[in-house]
Amino acid sequence: MSEAADHGVPPVVRLGHDLVRNFEALPPEKAAVEIATHIRKFWEPRMRHELLAHIRWGDTTLHPLLVRAAEDLVDGDVDRSEVREPSGG
Amino acid sequence: MTLLDEFAPETPDRGTPAVFGEATAQVTVDGISVMVPVGTSVMRAASLAGVAVPKLCATDSLKAFGSCRLCLVEVEGTKGTPASCTTPCTDGMVVSTRTEQVQQLRRGVMELYLSDHPSDCAGCARGSCEMQRLAADVGLAEVRYGLGGASHLAETPDESNPYFAYDPAACIVCSRCVRACSETQGTFALTVSGRGFEARITPGNSDFLSSECVSCGACVQACPTDALTEKSVVSLGMPTRSVVTTCAYCGVGCSFKAEVQGSADDTRVVRMVPWKDGGANEGHSCVKGRFAYGYASHRDRQLSPMVRDSIDDEWQVVSWEQAIERIATGFLGLREKYGVGAIGGISSSRCTNEEVYVVQKMVRAAFGNNNIDTCARVCHSPTGYGLNHAFGTSAGTQDFASVEQADVMLVIGANPTDAHPVFASRMKRRMRAGARVIVADPRRIDLVRSPHVEAAFHLPVRPGTNVAFVNAMCHVIVTEGLWDEAFVRSRCEEADTYLEFIARPEHSPEATERETGIPASDLRSAARLYATVPNAAIYYGLGVTEHSQGSTMVMGMANLAMLTGNLGREGVGVNPLRGQNNVQGSCDMGSFPHELPGYRHVSRPEVREIYEALWGVTIQAEPGLRIPNMFDSAIGGSFKGLYVQGEDIAQSDPNTSHVEAALRSMELVVVHDLFLNETARFAHVFLPGASFLEKDGTFTNAERRINRVRPVMPSRVGKDEWQVVCEIATAMGYPMSYAAPSEIMDEIAATTPTFAGVSFARLDAEGSMQWPVTDAAPHGTPTMHVGSFVRGLGQLTPTVYVPTTERANRRYPLVLTTGRILSQYNVGAQTRRTPNSTWHPEDILEIHPSDAELRGVSTGDVVELSSRVGTTRLTALVSERMPAGVVYTTFHHPVTGANVVTTENSDWATNCPEYKVTAVQVEVVTQAARAEVDAVAAQPVRP
Repeated sequence: MSEAADHGVPPVVRLGHDLVRNFEALPPEKAAVEIATHIRKFWEPRMRHELLAHIRWGDTTLHPLLVRAAEDLVDGDVDRSEVREPSGG
Repeated sequence: MTLLDEFAPETPDRGTPAVFGEATAQVTVDGISVMVPVGTSVMRAASLAGVAVPKLCATDSLKAFGSCRLCLVEVEGTKGTPASCTTPCTDGMVVSTRTEQVQQLRRGVMELYLSDHPSDCAGCARGSCEMQRLAADVGLAEVRYGLGGASHLAETPDESNPYFAYDPAACIVCSRCVRACSETQGTFALTVSGRGFEARITPGNSDFLSSECVSCGACVQACPTDALTEKSVVSLGMPTRSVVTTCAYCGVGCSFKAEVQGSADDTRVVRMVPWKDGGANEGHSCVKGRFAYGYASHRDRQLSPMVRDSIDDEWQVVSWEQAIERIATGFLGLREKYGVGAIGGISSSRCTNEEVYVVQKMVRAAFGNNNIDTCARVCHSPTGYGLNHAFGTSAGTQDFASVEQADVMLVIGANPTDAHPVFASRMKRRMRAGARVIVADPRRIDLVRSPHVEAAFHLPVRPGTNVAFVNAMCHVIVTEGLWDEAFVRSRCEEADTYLEFIARPEHSPEATERETGIPASDLRSAARLYATVPNAAIYYGLGVTEHSQGSTMVMGMANLAMLTGNLGREGVGVNPLRGQNNVQGSCDMGSFPHELPGYRHVSRPEVREIYEALWGVTIQAEPGLRIPNMFDSAIGGSFKGLYVQGEDIAQSDPNTSHVEAALRSMELVVVHDLFLNETARFAHVFLPGASFLEKDGTFTNAERRINRVRPVMPSRVGKDEWQVVCEIATAMGYPMSYAAPSEIMDEIAATTPTFAGVSFARLDAEGSMQWPVTDAAPHGTPTMHVGSFVRGLGQLTPTVYVPTTERANRRYPLVLTTGRILSQYNVGAQTRRTPNSTWHPEDILEIHPSDAELRGVSTGDVVELSSRVGTTRLTALVSERMPAGVVYTTFHHPVTGANVVTTENSDWATNCPEYKVTAVQVEVVTQAARAEVDAVAAQPVRP
């Protein structure tokens, strides 16, 4: 993932990589969970579908962590407990 | 409190400020006994006893001065006739205010004043000058020295300020104005020059306009004669009645008396006078709220609905019914053709809570989706995310009065003297009383050093490195053992994880110095100062939030406050300085795509059930589109219709070309606003909006204070904005109606726990209330997180510094950051249509001398400002306030359009744009370009 390359990439890829940069200091499994949780809480469905489409197309510019997080989007239902608290912002 | 036929009552002027304390004194004034705190002046005690003592130099917003000698009294057992304003009460004191000797002395004093006062004083004639009234009060029958003294009659009044004039002939040199400028405003622009009969008020060696005067109006407010008078009073005459309402400019939310004349159908605003009993402003104001209300009657104001088929067509005026039918048919058609998610709405942070609530209701119930967002997206959405994550609620922790208990104020990424001037006056007053300020800002803002105030530290943090800075602060506090372990262990969770994280050497000031640009020794000293005083408060603005790590920085500041135990009492806290008058309220009202009112996620079935039961619809459980996502989806072809209320996204949002491309991609854009703004260039339907003078509702300011907005005049466009929204929803097949805005607030209160005790009636009775207003806090909650956080334990969060991807490089070697200026507001749609443009007719690019010299730039040159997304031209100002490598401009003027160059980079969590970091280059342009910019800047602000 190149920072410069994010200029001009599809918005969902750029936004996904922003999440990766924020969480990649965590252990990979935890980072993937945090990214997936954020996407489920704040991304409108068509944005999630577009990201998954990029993965299906084999977009090689996608960071592996983003791909890993997207697996949770496909497999898991939204865990409502994560949004029990106020979620302003 | 709403009295449309007479003046709204307020606490009388008791002559000297209130004193607080437990010790009391029993005083008898003219036979009337009264109990007052020890230290209260005799004048104030008399007022409390119902006895009015004549006065000229005294007013209760200023410390006693004792110069006019009108307020003399006799005190039993003491010699002479002391001034009641400067004499403190003692227990058992017996005061007489109307003995023959006292009255004779007062008449003598008034004779002297009147001997040098214009015999044909227009102010006396219309009632704006107190001299004749006081003469009658003291029983003065004749002036033995004759009338019409010569002093100052030959001097030219100072008419330079567009809003008020100074007439030396009417001045009695009581110095109330000088003291108001110093004590209340803190600018110290005025002084008394000359002695004796030659004494007069001067704003330094210049006129008012050229001086350091910030036109706050405090001097005019304080003046007892007509020496300082609003030009509007001179031209229109005195008002006949007033309405108490709330300013529609910044997030301070000042209360004003709109003083008007004329009939209900032909109301003219004579002046806006800051309301003494306003909870947020306590009788003070700034140039915008005090004087810049004329935009509401500007000739550019659109008063009729308009439609057009294409954005290239001319507008056609239509009826409200036709416009609403066009909107409903259009949105329904787009939904049918492209799907339910193809339309959405943007609510305004300048409209009332009630108006914003019905917009999100329209989107959810009539549109059938969650595609609702608000301009908080582009300013304080990281505040919501970060404070909610850390504390459990998305709002500041204190009220403004809390600053009076602060020992240290850490001001980060905020310029309150420009953006929140009334609150800045409080800060400066606290600084003059001994509190110390740490300023973390790239620029040397006024709080760093201005008359009688100087920051203890100016930490010139490089744009984009805030998180590294706050981590370094916390690192010092933890590694030097300055953290409040008792607070952390009892009130926070994840402490050990965070402590281990922040103690790592990469977070030290020495390790981060190269990145942040802050000398390590200064940062260590500042951290020690913050951590070791009894009360330390954080105040921050968009210089924190408008970054790619905006949310992370908010959490970092929350960490800092929790580490040091600076939460849950007065004088401390984490205080976001919200930019707009109702950005707090629009967030509270559920104007986010993932939240219903009260910050409750749409996926929570128990929350959806509340609204589904009340509204009779099914609410989507998935989040909708944020504003930037709307733009992306529009360009992508799946988002086709947009309702925009009170926001000029084509000017205020970043990467203007991208926004314009998105708007062009849509098939139906509806703009609901006062003026044909930049966004309206891409609109198919224009709905005329109502100004704050015509609204009936509430605003919520930065301290969660819900204030009433009361109609000063009927809607000039024939409908209230909330009515229009309801009619759109109804035309789309979802019947929505209310009999009055109070019913909307009743619905809000019934469905939103933090607003449970709020109603228009309660607000009228209480004046204002700070949410949460609940059974446990029936009068509101000034200070939050007392005893425990809203989420229980505060969340300490490791805040990893991630550098922004927007870095200076060889092609774009400078960093642009943006901000605001005092006289203009946001996109300037309101203030540019007032004489405020006298001070700021164009956006200016501030550049450091070394950067300027390298480029051959001098002050006044037109320069080309370019980034990887766009180019614009601005006039340059070479300024040592800037650090090398950073340039600065404002975004108040659409022609120069700073957002042409800002990029799509945004906060990772909220997509709040990274306005504060754009890699740019600056180059001088030709003389032809200079003429072009001059021509644009010279476009007049029509009266």
